[in-house]
Amino acid sequence: MDIKYKVNRLETTNEIRPLVDKHWEELRTAKERGEKVAWASGPTFIFAYAMGMKCHFMAGYSAYCGGIGAGEEVLKVAEMTGDLPETCSYHRLHMGMAEAVARDIPINPQAILPMPDLMVAGRLCPEMSHYAEGLSRRFGIRVLPVDLPSVYNIEDAPRIREFVYRQFKEVVIPTVEDVCGKPFDYDRMSEILSVLKKVATLRNQCWEFFKEKPSRWTLWDYGVSIAPVFYMMGNPAGITYYEKLLKELQERKKNNIPAIAPEGEKYRLYWDGWLPWAFLGKFMRKFTPHGAVCICGRYPWEFFPNPELIDPENPVESWADLYYGKGQLIHHFSPRGTVDLIGELIEDYSIDGLLMFSSKTCRIMNLSQPDIIDTLDKKYGVPGVIVEGDMIDPAMISDSQIETRLEALYEMIDSRRK
Amino acid sequence: MKNVLSKITDIVSDPYAFVGSVRERTGKKVIGCFPMHVPEELVHAAGMLPVVIWRSNEAVTWGHAHVPPYDCGITRSFVDDAVRGKLPFMDGMVFHVRQCLQAGEFPYIMEKNVKPAYQKNLYLPALYPGAATKDFTITELEVFKTSLEEFSGNKITDEKLKKSIEIYNLNRSLLERVYEIRREKPEILKAKEVMQIVWSSMLMPKEDHSKILTELISAMEAKEVIPDKTRIRVIPVGGLCQTIQTDILDLIEDLGMIIPDDDLYMGSRYFANKVSLDGDPVDALAKRYLTKSPLCPTKGVWDIHWGDEAIKRLKDNNAKGIISVVIKYCPPHACYYPDFKSKMDKEGINEIMIQVEHEIISLESVKTRLQTFVEIMGGV
Repeated sequence: MDIKYKVNRLETTNEIRPLVDKHWEELRTAKERGEKVAWASGPTFIFAYAMGMKCHFMAGYSAYCGGIGAGEEVLKVAEMTGDLPETCSYHRLHMGMAEAVARDIPINPQAILPMPDLMVAGRLCPEMSHYAEGLSRRFGIRVLPVDLPSVYNIEDAPRIREFVYRQFKEVVIPTVEDVCGKPFDYDRMSEILSVLKKVATLRNQCWEFFKEKPSRWTLWDYGVSIAPVFYMMGNPAGITYYEKLLKELQERKKNNIPAIAPEGEKYRLYWDGWLPWAFLGKFMRKFTPHGAVCICGRYPWEFFPNPELIDPENPVESWADLYYGKGQLIHHFSPRGTVDLIGELIEDYSIDGLLMFSSKTCRIMNLSQPDIIDTLDKKYGVPGVIVEGDMIDPAMISDSQIETRLEALYEMIDSRRK
Repeated sequence: MKNVLSKITDIVSDPYAFVGSVRERTGKKVIGCFPMHVPEELVHAAGMLPVVIWRSNEAVTWGHAHVPPYDCGITRSFVDDAVRGKLPFMDGMVFHVRQCLQAGEFPYIMEKNVKPAYQKNLYLPALYPGAATKDFTITELEVFKTSLEEFSGNKITDEKLKKSIEIYNLNRSLLERVYEIRREKPEILKAKEVMQIVWSSMLMPKEDHSKILTELISAMEAKEVIPDKTRIRVIPVGGLCQTIQTDILDLIEDLGMIIPDDDLYMGSRYFANKVSLDGDPVDALAKRYLTKSPLCPTKGVWDIHWGDEAIKRLKDNNAKGIISVVIKYCPPHACYYPDFKSKMDKEGINEIMIQVEHEIISLESVKTRLQTFVEIMGGV
């Protein structure tokens, strides 16, 4: 008889929406209080936060737009004002929002942000520079650019780390000092890192529950809980949130409650690439009837999987080291780094299959995915498929394509179990 | 002139056979340099033959087992060529992986499936403010230089590098001269011939190419042409990284337009800016890379405007319109294009965009757009 699977929803995750709503509300109203506003891409917002600026975060804003259902209308404005549909949807969202404000085109008010006093453009990928350049050309916004190269070969990391650290010290800090009219607040940056360290440590304890069979929660639960380790960085509310989440997961373990009812998941999947913010529900509805659950991915591992390396006493050095030193977070963006990371996750989290999400408009995590699948399949015997789509843009999402690929993945897993 | 053009056509019609034959004839190792910013002079100074990686004219087949259909033409085409074993003559490959995200596709695919004897990733920075940018560029070039020395077994002395720079600068000067003559007598060459002249420079040893350019220039200088004043002068802009289909260039001309100058990578952008022979040669190569003009949207520049450069070129050539050639799935150009378009609108410049794909595009739709463009500009 077919098992009727359903998701056991966590209660704690209901508390994240008010927290992120508050974050974006405070940003929206910052100028009314005379506060300076920054927009940031890549891991650069910490410098604005250290100076007491209210700060947006490119991917976080895009996820928020997707979450509140504002993505499609803002993307339409971007297209109407000249952006090509193949352009990065995060780029288009920002252009669309800025143009909507400038031209008085009505969009969801929650998606509207104040124009920044400074754009801190961390160039993890070139598009993160392109959107800042575009906004500067169109609206004259001051740009503080930082080049943050992905590292393809680990031996290249030390010299790139030096380059990035020098930009932090020689360009970023003097510029935020100039914009804010005061010396850089190293103490505040240290405090932010102290809070981050606590949040990330708690979050890692939560991750342990992904290792359980059955898993106690899903990657989607983690996805919606991501803000405290990123754009809500330094906010002690993140500690409270993850303490509560940890407690709920401990309770689940004690009472043997799985993430997927009635008795746990049939397929334990790894999810590669961005989370599809505007389509989390859609994907979940495609996984759950099959007893499939995503329990780990590369994107979450971008966010400080080794909190022990966070050194609040040396904040700027530590920030560079997390990405380019011992932390090597930046290496996860390269195919070599991805192979190493997924290999570890397959073993640690007992993964049955790989679901590689390929964004049609953002290639930063798409790179060499077919070859990565091939390498991992040969080494670990774990099959994988690619699912094409987008994080925000519904025009890039095809239900039948997703379903066909998922069915293929389930069949491959089943056939190898026989 | 006809002989030189015929030779060039032969070379670009089958670059695989040509480059392979040069390798066999000279005994030099061939290093494929992904467009657009790898400093070929360093490869040359190591005693090897740098060639700029090209887009084939075949449909992508096996390549789609490695890259998605929404990567740009040259990315898919080059991967396809590589995994189909069409590049056995390429001893090495160099990728500037920070140019755009798709350039990041190559390192893993090549090391896993093709295994060239030499493979190097460059991380040239965006042209951002601060001394770190310049210093890191120099560091990257020094690291590249060392790796080339190790692979080739040849020490790249300053003297050797300056000699290579001289050879490259001469070729740039000669290509500039071809363009000067073309500006004076646009009817002298078809647009596709000009593109092929530049493309052949990317494939041939520069010394050989300069020789045939010298011959070509003499013939061009001597040749008289009857100006056709009925033709509307237009400037194509863009076409980053790759050749565009020659059919499109023919179409532009067939519709009564003429191209006196261009702002294409497979055109004037390739030979823009010489390398200084003063001081340290690696510093000089870095300086050329760090030059903001001609503006390249892959370099992170926003304090000058590509549109201003294009308008200047249009006015210098007494042209009436700009044709933006946007390669499909080229994010740097796609992200910049709306601002370029706005600038044209604001300045009252006739401009039209055509998107070019690797696969055979619908020439009819391009034709319709271009016909409309001609009519707007007051042509037939």
